[in-house]
Amino acid sequence: MSPATATALKWTGLAVAAIVAGVGLIFGFYEGVPAQQVILYTAATFALVAWVWRSYTTRWAEGASAVEASREGAGSRRRAWRAFARNYRWIIAGLVVLLAVFGICSATITGFFSVLNIISLLVLIGLLVFSSFMSRFVVENRSAFIGLTVLVGLFVVGSLKVEGFVYANNIKSMLLFASFLGLACVGQTMVALLGGLDLSIPFVIGAANVGLLYLIGLGVPAWFAVVLIILLGVAIGLLNGFLSFRLQGQALILTLGIGFAVSGLTQILTSLGSRFAGNVFGSVPEWLSNLAAMNGRTFGLEVPPVIVIWLVVAALLIVGMKNTVYGRYLYALGGNRVSAARLSISERGYWTAAYAISGGVSAMTGALLLGWSGGGFIGVGQPYLFMTLAAVVIGGTSLLGGHGGYGFTVIGVLVLQVLTSFLVGIGLDYQWQQFIFGLLILPMVALYARSPHIRTQV
Amino acid sequence: MSDSLPTATPLRAGAAAASTYLLVPIMLFFALLIVAVLRSESLVTSAGLGSAVIVVTPLVLATYALMALAIAGRGTVDLSIGPLIGFVNVTLIQLFDQQFLDSPVAFVLYALAVGVAYQLVMGLIIVFVRVQPIIVALSGYLALSGVNLVIMQRPGGVAPDWMQSWGLGISVFSPVTLILILATVAWLLFTRTAFYGHLRLMGSDERAAFTSGVRINVVRLGAHAIGGLFAGLAALTYTSLISSGDPTQGTTYTLIAVTALVLGGASLAGGRGGVIGSLLGAVNIYLITYVLATFNFGAVQSFVTDLAYGTILVLSLLLTVVLPHIRGVVRSVSPLLFFAVLSLIALGVIIHATYDYSKPGAEAGAGAGSSGITVLGAEPAAPASDSGSGITVLGSGSSAPAGDAGTGITVLGGPTEPAVPAAPAAPAAAPPPQPAPAFIFEAGSPAPDVEAPVPPSAPRLAGPLAIAGLLILSLLVILRTMVAQAGASRSLAPLVYVVVAAVVLLGVYAAADPSGVGLLGGPAARTEGRG
Repeated sequence: MSPATATALKWTGLAVAAIVAGVGLIFGFYEGVPAQQVILYTAATFALVAWVWRSYTTRWAEGASAVEASREGAGSRRRAWRAFARNYRWIIAGLVVLLAVFGICSATITGFFSVLNIISLLVLIGLLVFSSFMSRFVVENRSAFIGLTVLVGLFVVGSLKVEGFVYANNIKSMLLFASFLGLACVGQTMVALLGGLDLSIPFVIGAANVGLLYLIGLGVPAWFAVVLIILLGVAIGLLNGFLSFRLQGQALILTLGIGFAVSGLTQILTSLGSRFAGNVFGSVPEWLSNLAAMNGRTFGLEVPPVIVIWLVVAALLIVGMKNTVYGRYLYALGGNRVSAARLSISERGYWTAAYAISGGVSAMTGALLLGWSGGGFIGVGQPYLFMTLAAVVIGGTSLLGGHGGYGFTVIGVLVLQVLTSFLVGIGLDYQWQQFIFGLLILPMVALYARSPHIRTQV
Repeated sequence: MSDSLPTATPLRAGAAAASTYLLVPIMLFFALLIVAVLRSESLVTSAGLGSAVIVVTPLVLATYALMALAIAGRGTVDLSIGPLIGFVNVTLIQLFDQQFLDSPVAFVLYALAVGVAYQLVMGLIIVFVRVQPIIVALSGYLALSGVNLVIMQRPGGVAPDWMQSWGLGISVFSPVTLILILATVAWLLFTRTAFYGHLRLMGSDERAAFTSGVRINVVRLGAHAIGGLFAGLAALTYTSLISSGDPTQGTTYTLIAVTALVLGGASLAGGRGGVIGSLLGAVNIYLITYVLATFNFGAVQSFVTDLAYGTILVLSLLLTVVLPHIRGVVRSVSPLLFFAVLSLIALGVIIHATYDYSKPGAEAGAGAGSSGITVLGAEPAAPASDSGSGITVLGSGSSAPAGDAGTGITVLGGPTEPAVPAAPAAPAAAPPPQPAPAFIFEAGSPAPDVEAPVPPSAPRLAGPLAIAGLLILSLLVILRTMVAQAGASRSLAPLVYVVVAAVVLLGVYAAADPSGVGLLGGPAARTEGRG
């Protein structure tokens, strides 16, 4: 790097930092934020921007000059910039998009342009630069790294923007909902590891929810009813796996069909002889409500047991998938069917077992959701139809199989849940949440799950 | 193009093998059709068919859109088709409400353009960012279903006046039918091109396509553009069906359309699928709903429908697993022959039901009341319902069933009296009637809730229309089969073009007349429609 470039870069950086900090300062006073805070934030902004600029421009410039050197010393500044732009096109694109979104929001939403929002923007930009820089070193589990970064970013922005975001109660409720989603995702993850999909999950959840209440209403002992429901879920999963094994390309639609059938059948069975078709009445036993309710207690602690259940399940899965024969074989099958079959791993057995687990855990989720809501409702699983898929994908489990794991899905679930909580906190409706989820999935997946170009596969 | 030649032969073979998969939907179609006719007489009337076409067309077109993408391979299942239809619907209605899309041409073009633009963006992301299609579709699903609710919080708005008459469903021949036929024929023509060969090659084996020099990126984008066109048409017909905007209802099309696609024998894994199968699949879905609605399950109706959907879907998938094993037997069965035989049987059953099951008097006109528009999942009126629609014959006093029969039925010449059971004059195509009213082929009067006066001679059209529909269908199948199978039949292509040209001309003629509906039905039909 020529000294002239270095000097130019340094001064540009200082100027950018000063401009950004100045904007913050002006708007801080303009909005009537207390002076100490404004000064503090201004200084922090300036320092942050200047530091980020300094530490990364030197690296980029070095990288650029290395490229230059390999091209036999053409020292022109223009080429350096071009190489720079090429090497970091994704970061630049991300920055542009972020700034554009910010600009559009400031232009359209009154009151959007405030100090806190600018700081949030800076935090996001910092995280973007940081993660894209770091992800060069993180090769193995890049999706987990990106997921965690997004999680941290969301948390920071959330606690800045939303009053009470980091209060214990809010965190508890986030974890509570995350644990339902997380449990619903167990099956989807296992199945995705084999390259399948299970769309019957929401229907099984709904059916278990209604069916359990119906059984309890019939006078079956509650614990026995729960066991029965879970066994039925396993049976449905077995059916799913058994039937879809020969139709793996169409597992999506087959499980959907089974799901339709299951939910229809459950509703017919439960509304036979009832005047209120589709509605099941009954009382949920105390211990089941305690398991899943917000004010539930685990051994005296003020933590809903369902969170503990989720943590235990997650720990078991994460450790188990790494260390048991079943887990390793599952990955082996997902990675390469043929070589796994040569090791005499039963394809059909593992496929069916993964679906059976999925069915069982979904039924359990349905039962827990009954404890949470206190009333049976067949549609209780509907939000999970695509949410499980989204969580698995955001976490970084490949839908083609063989890569990922439940640990990744946990990150995906947390990202979705924290994002939901944040969006609710800043007053966005359900439809905006959906929209933002949709827009979030693509770039996150694009960062780590791009398939190779076809010419590399020939 | 010179490369169309080498690909031709394997494609033909592939088409023949794939057509085996049509056997399942064909069988299902006729089974359902026969049950439907036996259960409820109102389906095979002019009004019944008309409303069936209106209801089923958006689903068929959505299935076409999915099909075009599913053929492209890589497991492309466009989950976002439902929200896309909803998106076009709500933006159409909102823009029209603010007087941006006053001209019909702009209205239609907008729908098509949005469909194509969205699909192209999706295709570009798949091609260049190289994310799995299902993830792109998932993200589109979430984003669009959110946006729809932002654009329009609750159902509302009105469709343009010129579109109102589309959705009446009182005659088989309506602009919606025209759109359906045009779309189908367009796809059949498209299968003649080399581009289609490349598409299928890419769908079955992308690597092979790439190494043999097919520009797979272009082909994939082309498939998306075609899918977008179909999606735009689906949104247009959907708008005409509900005559308003609805942000959430369109979303439900995703699952139904995927189901229809698979019921039609297409493979979600790519490379296999066709327009006939998709059409049959979507019609089968409608017929399932229809048949189930004729049974009175009371409150559990929708649950039974769910159960039936699921079971039939799973069974039909399992049949496709079995098919390769019994291919030795199946190979000799040509789908065309199969279709012809089954349609003869079905025709026999329809005629049988018409003349043998018809009871004189009160129940004669029963069931004809179901011609009101039924959205998928809603119930068509049950058979033997009380709504009276008599058989009206030009000149003679009308028969009408006892009771509240006379509603909405006016005959040229005077009000109806619940009296003389009419001996209807036979339409030309049908055999001479028996003394008892033969209602299936004749009764075509609209439901009482349609305010339009009944055209006196409309009933006489029903029979010819039903037969004409069957004939057109058979003709299409024959053409398709000949075109696809015979190597030397390239000379047939002009014939296809002639047929298309005729259809287009008819369409122009239909569009030129402001009342829009039922123009082909002869002089009497002019009075139809609200306009």
